[in-house]
Amino acid sequence: MVKEEKEIANRPDNTAFTQQRLPAWQPMLSAGIVIPGFVLIGLAFIGIGVALFVTSRSITVLEIDYTGIEKDSACFKCSNADVKNCVCNLEFSIDSLFEGPVFFYYGLSNYFQNYRKYAASRDDEQLSGDLDAFTAPSDSCSPYDYNGNDKPIVPCGAIANSMFNDTFVLYRVVNGANKLVPLDGKGIAWWTDYNVKFRNPSVTPLKNAFNNTVKPIFWPKPAYQLDASDPANNGFINQDFLVWMRRAALPDFRKLYRRITDGEYAKGLPAGNYSLTIAYNYPVQSFEGRKKVVFSNVSWMGGKNEFLGIAYLVVGSLCVLMSIVMLIVYAKFKFPEED
Amino acid sequence: MKSFLCFRWGRYADNLVRSYKYSPLTFLPLTLFEQFQRAANLYFLLMVVMQCVPVISSIPFYITIFPLLIVLSVRGLKDLVNDMARRRSDSEMNSRPCDVLDSQSFSRAQWKDVCVGDVLRIHKDQVIPADLLLLCSSEPHSLCYVETADIDGESNLKFRQALSATHNQLTSHPSEETLAAFDGVVLCEEPNNRLYTFRGQMHWRGESLLLDNEHILLRGTVLRNTEFAYGLTIYTGADSKILRNCGKLTVKRTRMERVFNQVVIGIILSVLLAALLLAIGAGVFSSWVMSHTGPTSALVINGNPVYTGFLIFWSYIILLSPAMPISLYISFEVIHTVHSLFIGWDMEMYWQQDNRPAQARNTSLNEELGQVGYLLSDKTGTLTQNRLLFRQCCIAGEVYGDASSKAEDTEPMDLSWNPFSCGGLFMSAPSLVQKLRGQQCPISCQFLRALSVCHTVMAEWKEEAPVYQAASPDEEALVGAARELGWVFLSRTRDFIVVSELGVTREYRLLALLDFTSHRRRMSVLVREPEGGLKLYCKGADLVILERLQKDCLHQERTERALELFSQACLRTLCVAVRSVPEASWEQWSKTLDQSATMVTSDRDALLEKLYDQMEIDLQLIGVTAIEDRLQEGVPETIALLQQAGLKVWVLTGDKKETAVNIGYSCKLLDPDTRLLEWQELRHILQSPDPGVTFFKVRQTELWAVDKQAAEAKTALVLTGPELAEFDQRPEWGATFMRLAEQCQSVLCCRVTPGQKADIVSLVRKHTRSVTMSIGDGANDVNMIKTAHVGVGLAGVEGGQAVQNADFALSQFRFLQRLLLVHGRWSYRRISFFLRYFLFKTCGFALVHIWFGFFNGFSAQSLYETWFIGLYSVFYTAFPVMCLAFFEQDVNAESSLKWPELYRSGQRQELSTYDFQTMAVTVAMAATFTANVEISLVTRYWTRLNVAAVCVSVVMFFICSRITHSTRLFKASPMDYFFLGASDRAFIDPLVWLTALLTTWTAVLPSMTALAINVILNMHDKHKVHSASSQPVELRSRLRRGASLRRSSYALSQGAGPGRLISSGTCIRSTVPTVDEQVTADNNSTDSQLQINMKNNIDAPNHA
Repeated sequence: MVKEEKEIANRPDNTAFTQQRLPAWQPMLSAGIVIPGFVLIGLAFIGIGVALFVTSRSITVLEIDYTGIEKDSACFKCSNADVKNCVCNLEFSIDSLFEGPVFFYYGLSNYFQNYRKYAASRDDEQLSGDLDAFTAPSDSCSPYDYNGNDKPIVPCGAIANSMFNDTFVLYRVVNGANKLVPLDGKGIAWWTDYNVKFRNPSVTPLKNAFNNTVKPIFWPKPAYQLDASDPANNGFINQDFLVWMRRAALPDFRKLYRRITDGEYAKGLPAGNYSLTIAYNYPVQSFEGRKKVVFSNVSWMGGKNEFLGIAYLVVGSLCVLMSIVMLIVYAKFKFPEED
Repeated sequence: MKSFLCFRWGRYADNLVRSYKYSPLTFLPLTLFEQFQRAANLYFLLMVVMQCVPVISSIPFYITIFPLLIVLSVRGLKDLVNDMARRRSDSEMNSRPCDVLDSQSFSRAQWKDVCVGDVLRIHKDQVIPADLLLLCSSEPHSLCYVETADIDGESNLKFRQALSATHNQLTSHPSEETLAAFDGVVLCEEPNNRLYTFRGQMHWRGESLLLDNEHILLRGTVLRNTEFAYGLTIYTGADSKILRNCGKLTVKRTRMERVFNQVVIGIILSVLLAALLLAIGAGVFSSWVMSHTGPTSALVINGNPVYTGFLIFWSYIILLSPAMPISLYISFEVIHTVHSLFIGWDMEMYWQQDNRPAQARNTSLNEELGQVGYLLSDKTGTLTQNRLLFRQCCIAGEVYGDASSKAEDTEPMDLSWNPFSCGGLFMSAPSLVQKLRGQQCPISCQFLRALSVCHTVMAEWKEEAPVYQAASPDEEALVGAARELGWVFLSRTRDFIVVSELGVTREYRLLALLDFTSHRRRMSVLVREPEGGLKLYCKGADLVILERLQKDCLHQERTERALELFSQACLRTLCVAVRSVPEASWEQWSKTLDQSATMVTSDRDALLEKLYDQMEIDLQLIGVTAIEDRLQEGVPETIALLQQAGLKVWVLTGDKKETAVNIGYSCKLLDPDTRLLEWQELRHILQSPDPGVTFFKVRQTELWAVDKQAAEAKTALVLTGPELAEFDQRPEWGATFMRLAEQCQSVLCCRVTPGQKADIVSLVRKHTRSVTMSIGDGANDVNMIKTAHVGVGLAGVEGGQAVQNADFALSQFRFLQRLLLVHGRWSYRRISFFLRYFLFKTCGFALVHIWFGFFNGFSAQSLYETWFIGLYSVFYTAFPVMCLAFFEQDVNAESSLKWPELYRSGQRQELSTYDFQTMAVTVAMAATFTANVEISLVTRYWTRLNVAAVCVSVVMFFICSRITHSTRLFKASPMDYFFLGASDRAFIDPLVWLTALLTTWTAVLPSMTALAINVILNMHDKHKVHSASSQPVELRSRLRRGASLRRSSYALSQGAGPGRLISSGTCIRSTVPTVDEQVTADNNSTDSQLQINMKNNIDAPNHA
């Protein structure tokens, strides 16, 4: 018996795996499956496309450019970089109810927040409240890490330095009188950014943490004085700061400024005339940029995005078209053989 | 003496074998050095170094070093495991026991303790531990026998003999003392790798004695048929000849690997070009930014756009580096290894008889198996079994036996009267047995006596029966047949051949052995019969023997008719003849022979040949033997199948043209109506001014117009070795010849030397782009096995040399169909798809950055999160493609064999993409989906593992993204995990999903369409394969054939026969009078008695 076992010692195992006979599903593709498959997928895509397109169409967007390049523009007087603390009023009217909740964005174009050097120009340790990084900012912030007197800049880096600082006040013109529209600036930043990623140093008052540091060069006020109205909305967890620090993916972008959700405006902006008072501080003409304000409502799919719907429609139609071509090819190849 | 020679032992290598490469200290540097010789590894190391430069680092260095480390460590681990195995086998070999002379007695030591100058005692069947100078042995005249199968693959025994001086002085009693007193000084040449030559001198007792190869026992050979041999160690360990021969194996590279290297170069060039264009873009953008004050203006490095562009160039090279498939090499290796395992695991290629599974010795050539265009096969032992069976004979014109029935169906004869019979005779001829036993027919007895006396076979006694050791299987078959019929060859000493004739032991004194050479094609023995008569027994090829017969030889006509008959049955024939030699002519002849002993070798050979010719005249024809050279099982079916698969099968053999052509017919290589184009016609075509078209012209006109039907017939080329030699002078013929050969059904090359076999393979490799495969079983095939793209060794009768050098080892020729048509085809398809998909995956992954460059000012900003780059190729996309590469089967094994045409695709080589962080996650998701959908499209064979792999990959993406974007990791290192919360938001955003879905579908749309159109166009073929009912491959009858040819062949051995060594005592030094031992010729002499008699030889004094 032992000898017998030895004789077949090298005999391979007869298992499904070693014999490459694992049970398997072999998709048997045939014209009968492929062509209807293409038609079905095409139709599904067209369906999604139509849904997206219709949804997108239902979204109202109001975009107003206030860069002030054109002479007739309300903000033309502010477009000169030498004018300081310029304020301009933008008048506009809404014909019918602008359904709410209305989101108020500011938009910038030709602005490369995704430029690698720019994107890297920040110190995540500093922004998470590490006091060591206050006194010694990371090299990545260079050349916005120390000022001319070798004092550390907090927050350091190009992103923080270039923070958008135009401010807006919206009035509804009722019988010639300006009535303030309340803007909600809470919760416009990501939850993780506000609660985890950006932390103020646990020093009270907050001002003391910033001893021996200087504010970013472009900033009019230090970080602990960003919001005078709400002491809690200061430092690195200031909502506007957080929104700015979340970089845009593409050079034309818009960022959420405020939400219009309060009281009588919860259902939207009623039809009528409005006046937007803009504190025009942010220079964009030097790099051929544009500034705009955007009012928009949202749907389940977010903001207005007609491209996606159209893309779905195009791809869907392409599939259907191809299935027709395939059908013709199939017919041509099949029928001569049957004769 | 040991101290005398060993005090300077430092000069010599010790006998330790160190085949391992690494020591604990050198492992790391050596393995790194080896691995960075690969372009891709070096490229990635360069990337890691560049990523450490902060100004250009577009992605952190640990992202690239992560896969690089995996690749390096997997490879390093593999090398380490192999090295450990080598260490183990080394230590096993180094600790083998041997007997070393230690002052007065032999003591047991290990191989590693053997030093130069030691005297060793080697026992029977022991492996020799070092190169030894044979001092003396237990056999008469200090002859000893060694088996050199491990060295040259020849399984026959070789003879070695000690110097007569040492033999005479050292064989006295007790041997230990005399050996210990031995104080000779041996001068030998520097260690070298020449196995068959040795030159040296021994100074002993004032004499200077010349040493040559005959006195040397090489390490690795095995002592046989000799009780003891005593040897002086001259080369140890690394100095020994066999280890000097362990040259480096040239690594065969597959065509796929070459394609891959081209692709790598292509990728590098594309990356460089893309980086250059993007860098120019960056320069232009920087100068624009410089001229406009903005948030990014101060970030232009040094305020110099050109310098920025220069740095961006390097940054993009880093960013685009994931296009280089670094893990491809390692994946390749893993896939190859698994494919090789599958080959070894295949039950259908397991040969139960020898307990031997198929073996992929070179694990990197699997896909080449799917592309073979030319199969060059050896004949003997490959197409044929090399098991020769004595099937028929013709004695005095009378034919015995019947070869029309299969060997297994032959009715066994009752041979119980013969105590030595042990089966193995597949001939039924009771009438012959009756004649023999009745002793009525002296010519029949003479025939069998000739068979039992005239040979160079050695007998070894095992379990009271002689076991024959023969240089050629022909001889073994003949002596074996004689044994079955009562003429039992019992043993041979230098001077005597002992034969038991129907139970009566007779001794024939061997006077001369006229050895076989390929030129003479015959051999003879001159013996003195116990009765005193001188007889010359001769056997040889029919043509040679027939021209040396007496005039008016009896039975000649009937015998020639028998020859015709045997050849039609595809049997190998030998003529057997005898001559009574007059005493006077012998005396004169032997004098001349003695004189020749003193002559220079070259002159002596010429003289000997002349002398032999003089002796082999006036022969009297006794009969003809007919031996069946059996085809291996399934050979015709396999060849037919391979030809259907589009392979060209060539046969390269050392055998005769006639034999080769006949085997060609019988194994379906040639159809009965195949026209054989021989050298004359071929030469005519090759010499014509426009050979390219002449072949077709020839086909249409003179040669082919004769028979209209033949015009469509197949052609085969038949060449012989000397004719092939002409190619050396006319290298321009090569291309023409190959074009011609492509039109032919087959090419048969006969009478070719091992060197020529390799030349033919080189010729095919040079002039076609096809993959060549050589298959053979013997040492003579080693050269061609090494030369071809893929070498297959058959583990057969001829020793293990072919297998040692082959890439794949099989037990049966018919397993080739499975190896090529199933494993080869699958491997090729799997690896093609794998390579294509891999490039799709990595290039698509990296190309996104070129597109994104246009939106970020060409700043080399990475679109992906850094961790995604690191994990993408390893965790998110690797498993399904590996499963594809392991399990993919478009058609199953049975269909692959049933439709060999499917193989052709391989021969034609037919088989050969918001918010910043949310966007990053979206694109990453799309990339992962795309990669996984694409693999799902390619996979046609969905095993559970495939399904699991695809699911695991996609799930891994979501899990790993959540992990790398998690709060915990962010808190640990905010700089590395700054994508905090990105996936949490992205994965619940319908827009992200919709975008990813659209992108995925758009990305796979082209391949989807291609697949669909392919399905529509090829629907009928595929359907056929999958649904066809199983019918066996039908083979056409082979019986219709032209004029039958006489097939007589005498394939004794490739070179000169071993006769000279056997008879060295008589032929060369026959002046030495030896004392005749009185052998007690007992009828009932048993094994033990014979052994005693032979032992007496040791003590017999020898007057040298």
